[in-house]
Amino acid sequence: MSDDGLKTYMCMGCGFLYDEKLGLPEHGVSPGTRWVDIPDDWICPDCGTPKSGFEMVAIPYAVEGLELARTV
Amino acid sequence: MHPISQDTPDAFITRHSSFNFHEYQSGRPGFGRIRVFGDEVFSGAGCGYNMHPHHNLLIMAFVLQGRLTHLNTMGKIDVLSAGDYYLASFGSGGKHCELNLEAEDMNAIYVWVLPNRLMLSPSYARSHFDAEAGRNKIMTLVGTDDGAVPVPQDVRVSRLVSDRVGLYTYVPASGEHGVYIFALDGEVTCEGTTLRRRDSKGIWGVEQLTCQTGPMNTDLIFVETVM
Repeated sequence: MSDDGLKTYMCMGCGFLYDEKLGLPEHGVSPGTRWVDIPDDWICPDCGTPKSGFEMVAIPYAVEGLELARTV
Repeated sequence: MHPISQDTPDAFITRHSSFNFHEYQSGRPGFGRIRVFGDEVFSGAGCGYNMHPHHNLLIMAFVLQGRLTHLNTMGKIDVLSAGDYYLASFGSGGKHCELNLEAEDMNAIYVWVLPNRLMLSPSYARSHFDAEAGRNKIMTLVGTDDGAVPVPQDVRVSRLVSDRVGLYTYVPASGEHGVYIFALDGEVTCEGTTLRRRDSKGIWGVEQLTCQTGPMNTDLIFVETVM
């Protein structure tokens, strides 16, 4: 949904988000890391669903949702 | 994955999924904004899913039989019986636990839907479908209609319990919307297809659709979604 072409992926096991813009610094993934550059054996940090169980979503953030996403 | 209660060896969960769920099948990934439509039975006291996290997803449960104990980190402990249903919007994050604490089987339909916004404030709402009062008409359970539980997505869930021969017309919000019809019980002919217990059909691109019921009890769930 962003102008820079960065995308967001949602875990279909639990709804966890991977936003390329934010990365997951607390899990060792730097902001700006593309989904394609995440290893295939990576799993959802919340529920263990494999990377293949994520789906790209084009859903806007709620008001203040992006800020919340940075802190989750 | 969802942790199934470990300390009840005689308990088990049966799940029939209409769409892909985890590694269990490879078919249709969903329908419109719907991602999960699961017909689940928790057998054995203590059976269920222990506390586990979610984000974003809109998760609904429609209890058909038995008693479902639902706990969530939105601060709710709820017990739902046949006709009761809930909608949990997990938004920026929450956890829940789904349990059958009794000997009788608990059967519920679980529906997962994508939200229209990411990281919403988590919320929980519950309501009741009165099969007697709602008999022989299509009742909206979730959506924008009066008395329905509001949902942050362009979806609508309805139910029809019919005990007579009848012709029911369902009108989607637009021709851009699709309707997933699941027969809980009975027999119905929807747009040329006869559905019996646990059959289902997705219909889209129509201004309205008709359901012809027979004389026996027929119980249908309609999940309408923007496509």
